[in-house]
Amino acid sequence: MNSHLSPQQIAKWMIGERAPSEEQHVRDCPQCGAEIARLQSALAAFGGAVRDWSERQTVVKPVREGRGVRPFRWVWVAAGALLLATAVPIHKLEQRRELERARADALLMEQVDIEVSRAIATPMEPLAKLMTLDESNETTSH
Amino acid sequence: MQPAATSGLAIDVAGGAAEIDDFDAVVRQYWARVFRFALASLRDRDAAETVAQDCFWKAWQGRGRFRGECSLQTWLMQIVVNLVRDRVRSRRLQFWKSAVDIDVAAHWMPDAGASPEARAATIERVEAVWRATARLPEKQRTVFLLRFVEEMEVLEIAAVTGLKEGTVKIHLYRALETVRKRTGGRG
Repeated sequence: MNSHLSPQQIAKWMIGERAPSEEQHVRDCPQCGAEIARLQSALAAFGGAVRDWSERQTVVKPVREGRGVRPFRWVWVAAGALLLATAVPIHKLEQRRELERARADALLMEQVDIEVSRAIATPMEPLAKLMTLDESNETTSH
Repeated sequence: MQPAATSGLAIDVAGGAAEIDDFDAVVRQYWARVFRFALASLRDRDAAETVAQDCFWKAWQGRGRFRGECSLQTWLMQIVVNLVRDRVRSRRLQFWKSAVDIDVAAHWMPDAGASPEARAATIERVEAVWRATARLPEKQRTVFLLRFVEEMEVLEIAAVTGLKEGTVKIHLYRALETVRKRTGGRG
């Protein structure tokens, strides 16, 4: 092999596909040897840097050590607790409102009863009092 | 029992379905890898954690359908690759084309006791690869990260991505060619 490795041959080399003639060429050709070594070194450094970066970024673990709780089950537990915490006060508030509404209704009915049970209309009440007074005067004069 | 075809974490095919019953252990064992792929793809820790959570949530929901036809690791990686793809596509801004996080990621080097000069040279190389990777088309970037970060074999990448072996290789060749040129390789 006289010419340098092609870009595709270099790419194939990087994933482990290499012919014996190419291996021989890389051993004999300083330029191709340097190119292969440079790229291998860059890729290895890149992979190592990403792995290290990732390892140090992993802070939150989905499962706490030493606990038998299945991951994400806490989401359902939290949702249930939230539902319960919200539903109970709402139910109590609704009960209180119902009680107040019943009291108001009872008061209203009582007032209506008073109004209905009057013998004469409210505006006629002063006149009725006068008539009652006159009748009593007549009775006493007889 | 036939071992599932995978590199690294080979598991029993019959045992795979049983293994998933202990889901806490599954999360503990595979969280780092799933999160790492999401982080390398998205370069956003919060987004990567969300994607990793979603991945395990989907796995938990779909555990009944897992028959051990592939390894648990391959199955989880299939899920996370799809989630990352959906997330990238759903973002209107082409965040990968920006270089916002590259500096942070590139400067995160393992402290191997190297000299300042060697360290600076390594950082420069890593940064160049990050920038080159950032400009790769989505499929090329995915196979590139699976190969050179996750160190998967071509067959396993094919299983994870659902691509044919030959297609995976073509994406890898193209990605490598781009990375090589953009990191100062000869023309």
